[in-house]
Amino acid sequence: MQARRLAIVGVVLAVCVFAAAASGSERKSGGTFRLGTSSRIDSLNPFVAFNQDAYSTFEYIYPELIQYDKANRNFAPDFATSWKASNGGKTWTFKTRGGAVWSDGQPLTSADAAWTINTALKYKGGATANSAGLIAHITRADAPTPTTLVVHYAAALGNVLGQFQQFPILPKHIWSQHTGHKGNDLKSFPNNAPVVGAGPFNLIKFTKDQIALFQRNDKFYGPKPNVDAFGLQMFSNDDALVAALKHHDIDAIEDVPATAIKTLRGSGFTVKQVPGLDHTDFIVNSNPKKTKHRELLDPRVKTAMDYAIDRAQIVRVVFLGAAHPGDSIISPSSGAWYNPAVKPTPFNLAKANGILDGLGYKKGSDGIRVANGSRMSYDVITPTDVHSIPRTFQIIQAAFRKIGIELKQKSLDSSAAFDAITAPNGKYTDFDLSMWDWVGLVDPDFMLSVVTCEQYGGWSDSGFCDKTYDAMYSKQQLTPNQAKRRAIVWQMQKYLQQRKPYLWLANLDNVSAYSSNWTGIVTSPQGPFNSISKVSLTSIQQK
Amino acid sequence: MRGADYVIKRTAFALVTVFVAVTLNFALFRLAPGSAVTDLSRVPHATPELRQALKKQFGLDKSKGAQYVIYLKQLVHGNLGVSFANEQPVSTNLRVALINTLPMVLLGTLFAIVIGTLTGVIAAWRRGTPTEAVTVTSALGFYSMPTHWLGLMLIIIFAGTLPTGGMTNEFLINPSFWTHFRDLAAHITLPSLTLGLVLYGEYTLIVRSAMLETLGEDYILTARAKGLKPWTIVRRHALRNAMLPVATLVALSLGYIVAGAILIETVFSWPGIGRAVYDAVLQRDYPMLQGAFLLLTISVVFFNLVADLLYFKLDPRITE
Repeated sequence: MQARRLAIVGVVLAVCVFAAAASGSERKSGGTFRLGTSSRIDSLNPFVAFNQDAYSTFEYIYPELIQYDKANRNFAPDFATSWKASNGGKTWTFKTRGGAVWSDGQPLTSADAAWTINTALKYKGGATANSAGLIAHITRADAPTPTTLVVHYAAALGNVLGQFQQFPILPKHIWSQHTGHKGNDLKSFPNNAPVVGAGPFNLIKFTKDQIALFQRNDKFYGPKPNVDAFGLQMFSNDDALVAALKHHDIDAIEDVPATAIKTLRGSGFTVKQVPGLDHTDFIVNSNPKKTKHRELLDPRVKTAMDYAIDRAQIVRVVFLGAAHPGDSIISPSSGAWYNPAVKPTPFNLAKANGILDGLGYKKGSDGIRVANGSRMSYDVITPTDVHSIPRTFQIIQAAFRKIGIELKQKSLDSSAAFDAITAPNGKYTDFDLSMWDWVGLVDPDFMLSVVTCEQYGGWSDSGFCDKTYDAMYSKQQLTPNQAKRRAIVWQMQKYLQQRKPYLWLANLDNVSAYSSNWTGIVTSPQGPFNSISKVSLTSIQQK
Repeated sequence: MRGADYVIKRTAFALVTVFVAVTLNFALFRLAPGSAVTDLSRVPHATPELRQALKKQFGLDKSKGAQYVIYLKQLVHGNLGVSFANEQPVSTNLRVALINTLPMVLLGTLFAIVIGTLTGVIAAWRRGTPTEAVTVTSALGFYSMPTHWLGLMLIIIFAGTLPTGGMTNEFLINPSFWTHFRDLAAHITLPSLTLGLVLYGEYTLIVRSAMLETLGEDYILTARAKGLKPWTIVRRHALRNAMLPVATLVALSLGYIVAGAILIETVFSWPGIGRAVYDAVLQRDYPMLQGAFLLLTISVVFFNLVADLLYFKLDPRITE
């Protein structure tokens, strides 16, 4: 085992030396970029992985047809160089790179892409169910030539490119050997390092909860990285992570805790703060069939609650300024998909009290209002793993008390919290209020889907089910014209703002920090190590 | 014959304890609110069908009784099952985590035993002096400190001098044996020291108490009267007779080594079995939890048995 490890390290060293010698003087190349994270990679198997950093790993080691550009706004070529729709949008043809190879020297062709898509389709009810959403409506994929991929759809879709941006292409010659037991072997294949890939980096070493070491892939079909290697070192304690950066044991942190931003800036580190995709929310059970406290279904009650949320205080106190008041299911970092006409509800207790007074919900002797014969006193289910919730809850609780609503926190771990929300048996009839967060994607389809009726028992955590909304959702999904689709997406955000299954609290910034020895930093809403594009870590270089 | 009876009884009791623990381990995690597939089915691109697919794959669609029978059958064949979280054999996951944990926890426990025994002896021997007050107060102080807080303080104090996270510097290229050893020693220092400091107070108090008891015995007075040197009295007569409760404590501590140290492993990003169990609890990874708790049960029961048998050897009065 030790000999094997030494052999791997030896190979890495040899390759690094060779790469450095071969690189010439045109690039400020070389070095190992050491990135610290408080997240981790749970699995290297795309059919098993759960954590964001696992998806970011796949972005950097596997080809994907599409990626986002540097600005994280528009689609850009990755393994596909061009694409076009035909047959009324039901057929998509991608021209893929010629002469590309996997890290083991085997050719990488459109046949690998077709096999990955068709395999995901074949087992979508079982082994590949975790990526079923990405291949929705696809009927078949063909590879008529090594550089042509044709994907057939049952209907013309509006988010084809957005879906393929998140879909890693796997080496057929490796993975096709693991389809036994009705595809279940796909999930038990550990895909250990060194992983056969074809991205800008090869994953050469992975020790769970410790390190993922990526070496530059000089056979990569796209722009080569400037660094020889980068490593993702995993920490389970934020203080130790920040201490490691301050003492130069690592070169950067991908998600800086808000409490450390000021210190790191003051210590001469480059701190990048950009709008992120994470946003926190206050959930009101909007299931029309809920049994208790049915006053919560009244949009006027929800509006009163919305007025009683001091978002500015939440941003200032909970996130120490590294966030912005929330307003929509689509966060501003999604670019053009965000509807700027949807504004955060201002903090106005007088208005909130006025609405509730107008509804005739009088305050009792204890200051709590009575609605339909019941005190307006509610349990708020909160998951323990969203660390901003306890302080946010205290702020909201104090303000709600002033409008005659009593809130009681019911803290559960995420699994128990979600089951309490969906109880009983996925019917969403028991719970009243909850708090959680969402980490969206650049394309709006996923976030818009979480409030559809189809997501009952799946992603839905609000019990919202509205036929009009569902019709709009299907329409945006089936509108290939992106300008027209955007108009529908904007309309949906407005529609949700009026019905308020969510009262949005704060859009969190992504904050990353770098040692001053590094330049060429490209920011993204998911940080430098992301599943949006391959640009961030191929651009970074030593000063 | 009496001795053989004693050994058989203790061994049988240990086996029954393990079986009961196995059953409780199975039932306990399934009684907790929340489902094993809730979190796992909430991945970004999944459809609601994933939840059902996972239930079927993990056998959770079967009755609890059927699941229990399958679990027992697997155990009989030495199979701990497959982790729900990463779909790898539980035995592999546990082995990796245990290999990481053992050196750190062993070192910390050893530190605690040595320092605790030493300070306990000093406190007893110097009873009623400022030395005793300082020794006992320090021991109690460290014993009552929150483990994670002490770890964080050590990070603040030693950051820059000693590594604050991880087991090794994973960026070292082709390190020599000594470089690797030094690196590992540097990384293991703070977590082991934290554990040792938190644990040693317990030994101080037990050793002090046992020593005070033996120091009051007539044979100690006789030894003094004979003019033996103080250190000889302590070493030969007092400490040896005071070791009975210490042996129990050491055996118990060794039994819990396989449980790791969740807080220390989290503070110092140490990828050991404590963190693995904590993650498994959060993820409702039943096979991993069952495997880890089975390991812990066997370890605790085994070392208790060892302590019992050791007592039998050390103190023949037990059989009377």
